[in-house]
Amino acid sequence: MTKYLWMNAKHLLTNPYLIFWSILFIEFWVFMWAYVFGAYIPPIEEAVRLYMASAYGNLLMLSLSGAAVTIASTLLYGSKSIRYVTKYTRLSPARFLIENFASALIVLLTISSVMFLSVIGVFHSKFGFTILPANAVGLVFSIFLGAVFIYALAFFLNSIVVVLRSPKSSSFIFFLPLIFAFTAYAALWVDFGNLAYVSPFNCIVSTCYYYLSGKAPPTGNLTSMAQNNRPLVDVNIALASLLAWSIILMVLDTLLLRKMRGISIEEIRTA
Amino acid sequence: MIVCQNLYVTYRWRQEPVLKGVNGTFRGKSLILGPNGSGKTTLFRAICGLTNIKSGKILIDEKPIEEIYATKGVVSANFQDIYTLIDAKAFDLIRLYTDLAEGDPQLALKIIEDFGITADFLKKRKLSELSSGQAKIFCTALALAMKARHVLLDEPFEELDPARKGRMVNYLNEYEGVVLINTHETWLLKNLQDWEAFLMFEGILYGPLTVKDLLNARISMAEEPDSLLRLSLSGKTVSIIKGKGKGKLLTSLENLDKMYEIAEGLKT
Repeated sequence: MTKYLWMNAKHLLTNPYLIFWSILFIEFWVFMWAYVFGAYIPPIEEAVRLYMASAYGNLLMLSLSGAAVTIASTLLYGSKSIRYVTKYTRLSPARFLIENFASALIVLLTISSVMFLSVIGVFHSKFGFTILPANAVGLVFSIFLGAVFIYALAFFLNSIVVVLRSPKSSSFIFFLPLIFAFTAYAALWVDFGNLAYVSPFNCIVSTCYYYLSGKAPPTGNLTSMAQNNRPLVDVNIALASLLAWSIILMVLDTLLLRKMRGISIEEIRTA
Repeated sequence: MIVCQNLYVTYRWRQEPVLKGVNGTFRGKSLILGPNGSGKTTLFRAICGLTNIKSGKILIDEKPIEEIYATKGVVSANFQDIYTLIDAKAFDLIRLYTDLAEGDPQLALKIIEDFGITADFLKKRKLSELSSGQAKIFCTALALAMKARHVLLDEPFEELDPARKGRMVNYLNEYEGVVLINTHETWLLKNLQDWEAFLMFEGILYGPLTVKDLLNARISMAEEPDSLLRLSLSGKTVSIIKGKGKGKLLTSLENLDKMYEIAEGLKT
């Protein structure tokens, strides 16, 4: 490994945009879920467990999507450098992708851990008992898979902007993860049916929900009071979908990396 | 050795090429002189693999550049945007890039400090927070410290005071390897007399000449039969001729942008 891995991880972790949008802003919503939206939840462990699982899944999805915007932006600003270092230093395109991926993963998993601890803590303070994941290993696995998908998506979106040489469109394209995440967030009120498997964002929520609560979530309309007879998510299909999305995007990332010539910072600023 | 063969580069599809059939071989220390906008920087960017090549070839040590990946010690350059892999403090960038290229961080610091910029200062500032003069020194020092066989320096004397320009010339003369610099300033010719010189106008590379020849060269608006070079400037032929006689001394021009004023018959 080169110094790039740790330096990039440190750089991302201290990025003020990432700290604000992926941590501080989402922390506000943790309090909202616990104290405002959760006001009607009876202080019964089972009810709180399901509610907390829903909160964590959705807020983690939003938080990671916010981080995707920052990751894509930093890749765009470094796009000329990426081209240069992958040609004329010991960082090959594959090695760059691995180290960039590893550093982003450190960041995404750190964010996930912060979110997890804060959800546990805030919900404990509101409801008076601590709820731990029903399947901790499964939860870590699903978070890991979610982080891999988010990274692959961020890299793909950056590659599209760079290969098409369209820095002007970056302000829209880079926000697609957040747009998709908020669309998936609508599952709180809308039942997406089988579309819940197509959207990797819904899959992140579903798998986190399942491993945290121990129960499969409905395919949508999570806030509905009518709990019976709703179709439930098959978590294996959700995991397979998330994995498939990640693999497809990673393959595209690898192919596009060699096509990238980079966009100069001046061009990005004047776009 | 860097070889360019009939190189055409365009920035956008259907746009007029910036480089129009560049041919040249760069072996030792070479200087490319040309006015602003003549394509010097684009040529360097193409060699670094930063622009799309429309047609033609660039070979570095006989290997086409599109086949070069993850090969340290081949090419370094002083473009600021190749040192933006991370928006980190300038000091950390030295550590990062010399690690990736297995270069010499101490040499980078020594050169930078020689130009009056301290390591402590670099620990507090990002590259984007340096003045343009400081950034130029930083990137040039880093390019030299990467220990590459070919160093491409784009306008390395820009925004340096005369004393610092002299110091920079010394570093370039001492460097062991192929050094290619581009500039539109003619004052430095007398300090680089052992170098080869190329001229670049309107995307076409002319040369090589020895700098010694260029020092005594004059500009003639006629098609001289014994000219060193014959250039095409805005559709007009300009001859670079050797020795005393008619025509304006090339080194008497402050910079090569003035060539157009001569070609247009304006007073310089």
